[in-house]
Amino acid sequence: MKEQLQAGKTIRFNVNGSSVDLSVPATYRLVDILRKELNLTGTKISCEVGRCGACSVILNGKLVNSCLVMAYQLEDAVVQTIESVSADALHPIQEAFLQGGALQCGYCTPGMIMALKSLLERESQPTKEEVLQGLSGNLCRCTGYEGILRAVDILANKAE
Amino acid sequence: MRLTRAGSRNRWKARRDGIQKVTGELKYLSDMSFPNMLYGTVLRSEYAFAKINSIDTSEAEKLPGVSAVLTSKDIPGLNGFGIVIQDQPVFCEDTVRYVGDAIAAVAAETQEIAEKAAALIKVEYTPLQPITDPEVSLLAKTPKLHENGNLLHNAFYKQGADVEEAFANCACIVEEVYYTPRQMHAYMETEGGVAVPHEDGLTLYAPTQHGFKDQLQLSRILNMPESDIRVISSPIGGSFGGKDELNIQPFICLLARATGKPVKIHQSRRTSVKAGLKRHPMKITMKTGADKDGNLLAHKVRILADTGAYATLGPAVLDFAVEHSTGPYRIKHVEVEGYSVYTNNGVAGEFRGFGGNQVTFALESQIEKLAEMLNISSTALRRKNLRKTADPGPVNQQIVPTAGAEQVLDEILKSPILQDKPPNNESQPFILKGKGYSITMHGGGLGYGRSDPSGARLSLNEKGKLEISFGFEECGQGLLSTIEMIMTESFACSADDVEITIGDTAKVPHSGSSTASRATNMVWTGINKMKGSWCDKVYSFVSQQSGVPLEVLKTGHGGIWEYQENGNSALVMTYKEVADKISELPVVTASYHFPTTPESIDGGHFLYSFAGAAAEVEIDALTGRVYVSKLDHAIAAGPVVNPMGYLGQIEGGGSMALGFTLMEDAVMDNGKYMTENFDSYLIPTILDIPKSTNVSAIEELEDGDEYGPRGVGEIGTVAVAPAIVAAIHDATGHWVNKLPICPEEIMEFAFTKISKENQNGWLGGDKG
Ligand code: FES
Ligand code: FES
Repeated sequence: MKEQLQAGKTIRFNVNGSSVDLSVPATYRLVDILRKELNLTGTKISCEVGRCGACSVILNGKLVNSCLVMAYQLEDAVVQTIESVSADALHPIQEAFLQGGALQCGYCTPGMIMALKSLLERESQPTKEEVLQGLSGNLCRCTGYEGILRAVDILANKAE
Repeated sequence: MRLTRAGSRNRWKARRDGIQKVTGELKYLSDMSFPNMLYGTVLRSEYAFAKINSIDTSEAEKLPGVSAVLTSKDIPGLNGFGIVIQDQPVFCEDTVRYVGDAIAAVAAETQEIAEKAAALIKVEYTPLQPITDPEVSLLAKTPKLHENGNLLHNAFYKQGADVEEAFANCACIVEEVYYTPRQMHAYMETEGGVAVPHEDGLTLYAPTQHGFKDQLQLSRILNMPESDIRVISSPIGGSFGGKDELNIQPFICLLARATGKPVKIHQSRRTSVKAGLKRHPMKITMKTGADKDGNLLAHKVRILADTGAYATLGPAVLDFAVEHSTGPYRIKHVEVEGYSVYTNNGVAGEFRGFGGNQVTFALESQIEKLAEMLNISSTALRRKNLRKTADPGPVNQQIVPTAGAEQVLDEILKSPILQDKPPNNESQPFILKGKGYSITMHGGGLGYGRSDPSGARLSLNEKGKLEISFGFEECGQGLLSTIEMIMTESFACSADDVEITIGDTAKVPHSGSSTASRATNMVWTGINKMKGSWCDKVYSFVSQQSGVPLEVLKTGHGGIWEYQENGNSALVMTYKEVADKISELPVVTASYHFPTTPESIDGGHFLYSFAGAAAEVEIDALTGRVYVSKLDHAIAAGPVVNPMGYLGQIEGGGSMALGFTLMEDAVMDNGKYMTENFDSYLIPTILDIPKSTNVSAIEELEDGDEYGPRGVGEIGTVAVAPAIVAAIHDATGHWVNKLPICPEEIMEFAFTKISKENQNGWLGGDKG
């Protein structure tokens, strides 16, 4: 909206290794910046209240719900989205998702992969309890999570 | 056979659409955008029930950046939609009947402007008292929500002599009332899409389970020939029945026509909750009687389904519930009456399990209670009354012979869950453990009297690929992989040799809807029907070219092979060479119908699948919280085509059913949703699922069965609730009749049970 745009601010931040300058309202959400302004639609939108994790990205090294992050919080930030995960080849997590049958409609998948990636970056050998906690903010309506746990097992080399 | 990744060996295949999905590359239709695209929004009702006195859009139209504001007078064709009954207005004219009702739509340069404009539309209402109780809705003095009154549909089924007389001869009778919730599909991708106008019509990109039905309905609304509307409908970010009806499609198409520009709507979750379909809440009164030996003699059922403001597939859901209310049992005297009733609650429609989940919860609970009363095991009671292979179907119709009922019963009884009662853990005296199981029978396809055709096309395309086309959609279920596997196994070719086309009305034959667990079966049938004549065409050309006799030619990896018994087969021509040299590329089409029962019983099914579920629960008596610690499934649905897909459907269905049983309810108060988003409408998270889930697949079909693999999209959801409820009873002695279970209710009984068991113990017992 006009008024809001006037109140907008120019922010500079880094997305997947490239620097971005944008003039947007200070309260514009990161999820909209990614999806609408930068056409990075791998980050999904579903609940918009921080409950489903479909919009998960890594911001300054931490997992966040991009529907809850606003433009003014992005100054000089470093954002990683699903598009950065497989720059050259599939990431082992992505490979494990394919092998484990960890996705169906796939709509929760980018967020789920970001959540798992963030967990594994913090803790390379997480316990089952840590995995459950780490993924509990990401809803999946299709798989019943069984396939996702198979993927985690594959990553841990404990496949059946 | 326990279905596992390891056990499936090389048939466990990564999904065809997997890489695009794990990398985030895949554009869902709601992700798309186009140059000059406008954003749309829909103004929805403020009331659950009201008269509209006036609508003033002038302020909204004046707002800079607004391109169009549409109301009912801007609809060129029919102001109504619905797959079977077109009673849902695109835009309401004089009455709103639920909070999701649409009044106007706006297209503007940005989402924000569109929303601001929508807020500037002035609607004057006269609010009316919403009718929210289906029982009240049926009373004669209640205002009529639709011209023909508030009864959308009724269905009856009767068998044997007078059921009341039969009750008189029963040794034991159980009569109960069951309630089931308004479950939300909660697909992660809310409804969205883009309509792109062009000179001779428009292209619609929107997820839907049946592109051709959308095309037909939109042609009526837009008053445009169907052929001018191209519907691209896959991929879908989850549907479970919720995207079979039109949702945002009419609005974006009308706006695109009005503005001449692409228009996108991607509905917010809140709007999706308000406007979208839900599972029919049902009140089921069931009276079941048996003689002293455990023969089921009489069964009387009354089903009241709340269909909400509009019909959608309410009649078919009710018919399905009526049909399945005797399940896999033979009962002498049966009387079932069902009513599907309009109210001012949200719209209920199609949802995975299609009315079977609700009645199966009631029926299986009845069986357990009756067994308890008769003082026999529920297994003995089930066995005594279980349908046999050649028995007719639940409404006494001819069906494909099946031993499924017995197979799933035998198999689920082997579940480790059911062997010994889980030991109580002394350090957790407030945790009660229990186990239970149940079984079910579920019809595939739309049923008798409903047009249920399918079609398929197989060609060799110029790229030298075996191109297979269906009008089905990839809703996440893994249909692409299923098609790939049926193709590679039928033609012994590689996945690379196959090109699959689905989800685009401009490119595919009519195959009917991706619903009712029908797609796998229809894919298998189609490919089998086309294979012979397609090969004949190709072999005769290859034989001519190469001189190799027809009889030894076979399709294989990369091309046509000369088959030799000693194993030294040789490639004669690649598919690409055939495609390059043949004068006319071979194309074969097939059209066929989902197999139906010859009996003229509306909605009666012919092909059934079966399921058994066993659950172990842990109940915290202090909080009443129920945790399902283990859940096993036994499924009889014919051969497993795609093990990863099959397993995923059952696991996912199981967790959805767990939600139905323990936590999910789209609560309404006076016609308004109280649960508007995932912060109050809870679906299972990874922390809520059982510690272990095992799926065993029974693949054997009867000798001579020519119908192949049945779909498993729904069957994994049906038997779970009654299994959990039986386990809760085992743990607490209490029977739950209302879903989702209420922790307060459980707490009371669990606590009483513990107190009793500890009468003389430390837990407040009177030690005198
Ligand atoms: S969309 Fe951000 S958490 Fe759901
Ligand atoms: S795969 Fe569909 S929501 Fe997770």
